[in-house]
Amino acid sequence: MEQFAQWLQATQLSVAIQSTTWLIPLLQSIHIVMIGVVFVAVLLLVLRVLGVARTDEPPSVVWAHFAPWIKRGVTVLALTGLVLIISEPVREFTALSFWLKMLLLALGIASIAALGSALRRDGAASRPLAVFTLLLWLAVIFLGRAIAYDVEVWGALSFKA
Amino acid sequence: MDLHDIALAVGNSGLGEWMRTNVRAMPIVEALHVIAAATVFGTVLVVDLRLLGLPDLKRAVTRISGEMLHFTWAAFGLAVITGVMMFAANANTYYGNTEFRIKLLALAAAGVNMALFHFGAFRSVAQWDSNQVSPRAAKVAAALSILLWVGVIFVARWIGFTKGYDFSVPDNIDLDLTIP
Repeated sequence: MEQFAQWLQATQLSVAIQSTTWLIPLLQSIHIVMIGVVFVAVLLLVLRVLGVARTDEPPSVVWAHFAPWIKRGVTVLALTGLVLIISEPVREFTALSFWLKMLLLALGIASIAALGSALRRDGAASRPLAVFTLLLWLAVIFLGRAIAYDVEVWGALSFKA
Repeated sequence: MDLHDIALAVGNSGLGEWMRTNVRAMPIVEALHVIAAATVFGTVLVVDLRLLGLPDLKRAVTRISGEMLHFTWAAFGLAVITGVMMFAANANTYYGNTEFRIKLLALAAAGVNMALFHFGAFRSVAQWDSNQVSPRAAKVAAALSILLWVGVIFVARWIGFTKGYDFSVPDNIDLDLTIP
């Protein structure tokens, strides 16, 4: 994996992104703005399941309202994230936080889909699952920032240590 | 005592020292800052989009803003606390950093925009609360709000890429004392 990362980092595409000084901050900024969109959409779905917000609307309406924002937002996050990975593959692939983030991201998407299957039918979605979903997404954001500090956060557990 | 003295005092405080000596402090505080900023932006966006007439038209403006506002303020509080903590870790560098100053100005502009809306167009909200189309002044405030908050996030991320900024300050060096 590290060899692959080294190879990727030396490709023309990666070098081109790295040498365009404004591109990485721009992509990271778009990434953060989209985190705001996706996280608050997830938050409102979760709060609807918990009966805290938007209780005046049926669950299916709340789902229909926010699911497209989550889908489009995650797509933009995946695209900006992909370019960021290509630009600094060694930094990403050698970080424990990166791999944990990818794992929890997959779980986070799966648990939203699980919530959605109940909400769409106006069924009662599991409250513990809703809380778990929110925690998963908080952890994903946390791990995203922690990639830059792998040794500091994980100590001896970090692949970089 | 001018602003620079205050910045230095914050940097030399126990909080600054604690931020510099705890290796996990910066990543955790930064991550909380991102979560807080994302929540502020996202919740403000929900209200702004309603004012602009994009989604959510069946629900009244005040219903949506009332629902979102405590999350916005709670997250903003967390962003300020974590922001001060990050500032304390490297106060003198932030103080002299142009991008940091632009960020604070953008933040202030977002606040002024919100206040103008609150004490302006929002005062007559009872008349247009459930209307699908909000008054022009409300739409302008909403569009400005989105632009300013996106601007705050962009400039904030930019700070980390500006020259002279050092994220990992050695434990035994107090940067604040070395710069006049």
